[in-house]
Amino acid sequence: MTKKRYGVAGVIAAAAIAVSGLVVPSAQAANEIVVWADGERGPNLVKVLKEKGDWVAGYTVTVKSFSNFDALKDAFDKATSASGPDIVMGANDWVPTGAKSGKLAPITLTSAVKARFTSGQFFDLTYKGKLYGVPVDVNNVAMIYNTNLVTTAPKSFGEMVNFYKANKASKGLKAGLCVAGGGMSWGAHSVFSALGADAYQFDSRGNIVYNRSFNGTTFGKNVRTYLLDGKKSNGFFPATDAGCKDNFLDGKVPYAIIGNWEWKDYVAKGFTMNLMPVPGVNATKPGKMFGSVSGALLTTFAADHGVEAGAKSLLVNFFASTDGQVRYQKVEGRPPAEKGAALDATVSAAQRGFGAAASLSSIPQIGAFLNNNAGGANYWDSAPAFWTAVLVDGKDPVVEGNKLAAIWRANTTAGKSDL
Amino acid sequence: MTSFFRGKVSFALKLIFLLLLGSVLVTLTQSALAQGEYVIAGFLAITIILLALTYLSKISIPLKFFLPGILLLVAFVLSPILFTVTMSGYNYKTGNIISKQEAIEQIKNRGFEPDAEGTSFEIKIGRYQNQEAILVSDPLNKAYFISTETDRVPLLASDLTINEFDVAESAPNFEILSDAQMAKADELYSLKRFKYQDEYFIALEGFEIGIVSRQVLDFDEATDQFKNIITGEIYVDNGRGNYAIEGQPELFLEPGWRAPIWFENYTKLFTDERLRGPLLSVFIWTVTFASLSVLTTFALGLLLALALNKPIRGRRVYRSILILPYAMPSIMSILIWGGMFNTEFGAINNLLGTDIAWFQNALFAKFAIILVNLWLGFPYFYLVSSGALQAIPSELLEAAAIDGANPRQIFRQITLPLLLQILSPLLIASFAFNFNNFNLIYLLTGGGPRAELDGELAGATDILISFTYKIAFGSSVQDLGLASAISLVIFILVASISMYGIRKSKVLESFQ
Repeated sequence: MTKKRYGVAGVIAAAAIAVSGLVVPSAQAANEIVVWADGERGPNLVKVLKEKGDWVAGYTVTVKSFSNFDALKDAFDKATSASGPDIVMGANDWVPTGAKSGKLAPITLTSAVKARFTSGQFFDLTYKGKLYGVPVDVNNVAMIYNTNLVTTAPKSFGEMVNFYKANKASKGLKAGLCVAGGGMSWGAHSVFSALGADAYQFDSRGNIVYNRSFNGTTFGKNVRTYLLDGKKSNGFFPATDAGCKDNFLDGKVPYAIIGNWEWKDYVAKGFTMNLMPVPGVNATKPGKMFGSVSGALLTTFAADHGVEAGAKSLLVNFFASTDGQVRYQKVEGRPPAEKGAALDATVSAAQRGFGAAASLSSIPQIGAFLNNNAGGANYWDSAPAFWTAVLVDGKDPVVEGNKLAAIWRANTTAGKSDL
Repeated sequence: MTSFFRGKVSFALKLIFLLLLGSVLVTLTQSALAQGEYVIAGFLAITIILLALTYLSKISIPLKFFLPGILLLVAFVLSPILFTVTMSGYNYKTGNIISKQEAIEQIKNRGFEPDAEGTSFEIKIGRYQNQEAILVSDPLNKAYFISTETDRVPLLASDLTINEFDVAESAPNFEILSDAQMAKADELYSLKRFKYQDEYFIALEGFEIGIVSRQVLDFDEATDQFKNIITGEIYVDNGRGNYAIEGQPELFLEPGWRAPIWFENYTKLFTDERLRGPLLSVFIWTVTFASLSVLTTFALGLLLALALNKPIRGRRVYRSILILPYAMPSIMSILIWGGMFNTEFGAINNLLGTDIAWFQNALFAKFAIILVNLWLGFPYFYLVSSGALQAIPSELLEAAAIDGANPRQIFRQITLPLLLQILSPLLIASFAFNFNNFNLIYLLTGGGPRAELDGELAGATDILISFTYKIAFGSSVQDLGLASAISLVIFILVASISMYGIRKSKVLESFQ
């Protein structure tokens, strides 16, 4: 290289550094708390924080939104200390894996703050005795019935099936009951439960029984009685959720399980929020839906970023407070988890309806059992597989029901160590 | 024109380009350094130096052409391979993701427990006698004190300013931090353990609340052990990325760290019954799928090429139509085909008047996959076969015809062997591509159907790469180390099969 070229190289290097200095992404500021949320919650959080931003004096709160919940989960799975958030708005079943992997940090709440929530909501966000966040939204489904087709609320599962069979042809029904929200595992749990298959068992005092499952034979026989016509599906309950919402909105399905995040779509179409749990084969035992919460979860990155105390204050002062949840759920439209916010006048009738349905018959969503696959498959895979095996493939519901019972028992037994 | 590329203008353009590229690379280097990614930062720094040396000197003219390719090869091919090879020797899964030092810090941070009553106090953050301190209020008992790391100083309510909630707002000699000061001192105060009584301390849970807790786990750096202070249990490094009680491997502390386990991920493929069974069936289906895909797409592509090699009316239109499936993004085509195979409303069942659950039955699902891949792949072989047919000297075919060979004999004895010689590298490449055709499997069947209720890990249409994805990302427990080991096995298999094919077809001999 000639001297001239060395000079040019030097000039290039200096200019490159100078130019790059202008565009270097700034590191997280010392007094900045970064919150990650999905594409729905994120923009709503921004609105609320714009309206009132002084939840933690001395800090600014920055919200980063991801296009959807899966994208958020994917980003959080890959997050490192350098790139990760201080608080992430995630699902309750993120807690076991997040805590195990050292991405979530425990938080201890005072009894005054704890009193604002139910113990079941904290159970959802607890891993091995430690709490990893505060509950924000209640997530549940409920069954809605179309009053243009049925005038009164059904009292039993059999009543719904009889209505479907009697009116299938005359009213052009495409199904009797279908899952419009939450999918064939999470959303359909209340159907499993209505027919006698709960994901895990509780004793009369409400304690989990780790080594017991539902009775696969009884459940299988119920499936045969109510959902099958010989070996084939009688059409009352489809094996997939495809088309369910549209069919219900078109008046071609009398009963549908819908999620509390989508009630506005039904109200917009003129439906009254006639919400209830799925009635059981035994009229006194309705199917239990998963009553879970989404939470604002504290990450270990907050400590790395030097904002741990600020992030904990934000969790308590905003996310876990009545004022914070009222303001947030006013724009988000989900049932608030905090007791005071749930009673607030601004909470809509639909939000209350979901809360009421959940309070009638629900089961906590325990990730330690549901995510476990010691039985050969986790709940999320095995539940839809059962519907496919019985309703599509024509397999014996008693045999498949017993397989399902064995899988869920093994998962519950193995999942005990993760509680 | 030549002078333009050699003149001052070209030099100025080169400088501007190098300046822009250098700026981007320096930015990326800084960003990598800030995130603690020193290997990436080092690579980028070396890249900047190499670019400057190569394009501002006459060290090597050929290097000016090769350098971009070499750098991209290192960055996007060699590095991932190296990383995969390294990780395949690690216990790298959910629960064992972070480094050992990070794991120790987190175990220490989690290794405390609140007192049985769950006592908490309202606090104010500040300084007392030049030490970090908290002003503690117990409104229920109307008790107040200042706590530092070493001392607890009781206070009289009469000496304090107390608000309507019975919380002390200020105390003599206690300097309360401003909001800005608190934000600045977050890390300092978060790590402090303020004196309470006996083994109990007060830790911050935000700036307003202090929780009474005690340390349960104590780390001894010299022996590399954690000790449970309450029960006396000792947790030692189990060599697999966790601190566990000796003799009770199931009792370990979390989180763990990624630790080397050498060849265990590989041996697991052959010793773990849950993996070994599905792996064999998945391997057989992968080879079958890749072979059938190559065979069917090549056969149809060649047939069409032969048909359209003759002058027929509308040949150009036919050719254009045949290339259409190739012109459409494959992801869109796969999703459309997925809809067409839908049991309830799919076009295929509607046309056939059937209600076949295409993706619920293993055989139907496999048929659907081969069919969709045929649709996606035949235009490619139609194009290359058309080109190759043009390359076969017409004299050969004419001579054979004069010698009395019929068209079938000409095709079998002359055209096909010559075509195969020309197209062998493409056939091998197509086989290797289909061996790892993740998109098709993932988007069309998701690897299913799978008998989850029978405990099957792999679906009937899972190929090795989709099975690997399931192990790595398909459940709540992500086993990245095991997935890396399977990826490496796939790499070796594809490389071996390709090498064998290349040797057999002798296609590289012409390059020697």
